[in-house]
Amino acid sequence: MHIHNLIIQLFLGKVSGPIPLEDWADIVRILRDQQCLARVGWRLQRYGLGSTLPPFVQNHLKNAELIAQKQYHQVQYEAKLLQSLLQPLTQHLLFLKGAAYSLQDNADVGRGRTYSDIDLLVDKQSLPQIERELCLYGFFAEDLDEYDQKYYREWSHEIPPLRHGSRGTLLDVHHNLLPPMTGRAPDIQLFFSHTQQNSAGYTVFSPAAMLLHSAIHLMLSEEIKHGFRDLTDLYLIIEQYQSSEFWQELLELAIQTGFAGELFLALRYNQIILLLPVPEHVLTSLQPYKPGRLRMRLLDFIFMHKLVPQHPAFASSGDTLADFLLLLRGHYLKMPLWLLLKHLGRKAYRQTLSAFFGSSVLDKNTDQHNKK
Amino acid sequence: MTFDVRYLHLAPFCFEIRTDINKVANNLQQIYGDLFSTTPGVPDYYLTLRSGSGLRKYLRPQARFLADQQEPFKPIDINNGFALLEWGMNWCIATSEMRFVIVHAAVLAKDGKAVLFPAPPGSGKSTLTAWLAFNGWRLLSDEMALLIPGTNQVIPFVRPICLKNQSIDLARNWFPQARFSTVAKNTHKGDVVHLSPPAQSWQQNTEPAQVVAIVFPKYQKVQPLEVTALNQAQAFMALAENAFNFSLAGSEGFHTIVQLVENCQNYEVTYADVAELADFLEQDVLPYAHP
Repeated sequence: MHIHNLIIQLFLGKVSGPIPLEDWADIVRILRDQQCLARVGWRLQRYGLGSTLPPFVQNHLKNAELIAQKQYHQVQYEAKLLQSLLQPLTQHLLFLKGAAYSLQDNADVGRGRTYSDIDLLVDKQSLPQIERELCLYGFFAEDLDEYDQKYYREWSHEIPPLRHGSRGTLLDVHHNLLPPMTGRAPDIQLFFSHTQQNSAGYTVFSPAAMLLHSAIHLMLSEEIKHGFRDLTDLYLIIEQYQSSEFWQELLELAIQTGFAGELFLALRYNQIILLLPVPEHVLTSLQPYKPGRLRMRLLDFIFMHKLVPQHPAFASSGDTLADFLLLLRGHYLKMPLWLLLKHLGRKAYRQTLSAFFGSSVLDKNTDQHNKK
Repeated sequence: MTFDVRYLHLAPFCFEIRTDINKVANNLQQIYGDLFSTTPGVPDYYLTLRSGSGLRKYLRPQARFLADQQEPFKPIDINNGFALLEWGMNWCIATSEMRFVIVHAAVLAKDGKAVLFPAPPGSGKSTLTAWLAFNGWRLLSDEMALLIPGTNQVIPFVRPICLKNQSIDLARNWFPQARFSTVAKNTHKGDVVHLSPPAQSWQQNTEPAQVVAIVFPKYQKVQPLEVTALNQAQAFMALAENAFNFSLAGSEGFHTIVQLVENCQNYEVTYADVAELADFLEQDVLPYAHP
């Protein structure tokens, strides 16, 4: 708890007094696992605290900053390539999430932000041509078993992830923000009318739509690994882009697409954990979407555990319970019951296999393939 | 399963180590001595080497390497756990420590003057490294040279020397008193043994050195020493190929390597006898280097 608070204070630039080196070691460890080290480093520099830190901390912040910089340059390169390959094949070509944060001109949310894959949003009917074109240029689907293939093709809002053969770049190509079988997938045309182009000609969501997408993604996840990073994504977008037009656009889009409840939650936890100020009229407009008392308590329990700077080495039994509840909730929200039972049955079978035979029994390639 | 927490104090880094595999702990003790201890440090990296779970534990036991929550490698035969840990440490540094320009090279120094030996596997680099380290040279690194960007300065990261296949018996004959790890058999590199360098290298493991020469060694049987001076473009290309984080280090990395090549003597040396190569370095290279 103590370390959580310190990290939040660092992010907000409100550190009172020196932090002992043992605490810094934990802070660095947690932030590195949260993929948030470079982001907090950037905040500390902005608050003018960078040079006052112990060398141990400065070293790790420097490492993280350099890795984030490299990714920032890499994504510009990949975006240029993807744009020239795919633009002719689809009416809409949007960069989402992490890549969008980097590509958006001067976005705070892109500074020091690292991510493991590039997310694209395209027109559904263009998917076959897009997949073929990407394959020609070295992006291949990873080895999936038949079940996973079928899962993606029939029920998902994306095609199986593609990996570039030599550069290793991971690509997720989506045709909607949520799987259609959840019943929650929005009319994607509504989102397509909230986009903007950056100075280099790449299309991303407008800040309001970007925020809503992040909120949907976080609040409907069945597994949250980088909860603090995702929470601070939302914080940084709001901090930089809020204006009366921003809030207006956000509220309208959220209500129109049926995600006002997710927006309510996203703002709630930003208020509680990061003390984000939210205008009164926004809160009033979202009040009808507030969950009932019992559900609210359950959700608070889950998210107050999952959205603070978490790390498995510091996990309490509450954290473990929150994980489990989140998994149940995420699946329940996203899958029709018959599919959920089928899916969980399948997963349980695989877990049983690993429990008995070790976790690598499910690896397709069991050869030693260790690289230095 | 509970794990003892130990710390591996390997300047300039500190690793927290947890393992439930006795053989790994014993090897750590054997190779690192007092540097592997319960004395707490401020850990840079959190490493776990644990035996695999499930029935496999009884049939064909495996060792798994975890760097905090990440598992970059597949599990390996439990007897090879220590080698996996050594490679895991390399992986941590190569993927994280961007504040250094990291070159895949051995570094040895004499009188404060360091020679960089970048070389692909099979060039006899480790045999050469072992011989020099036990014959008056100070080992700074066996596999990864940590260069401070914009300088010729190399920071020691003293670790055991990784010997492969035939060079294992050779080294055992040469240095019967030295501290060797157990053999890791049939790894992707063949049979592997780690050899702890002599005390002098450990004692000076916080003293940087100036790189004055870059030597690309190539072992070839029955042949007199053959020295080819490389021009700067050749040396640059050869060095860049061996840089771990060249693309990550970006323009800073590029300038560091250029400057290094410009300020160093650069050679490719084909040798059959390590002593002959050492003579060449001590008589024809070091005396003419002025860091």
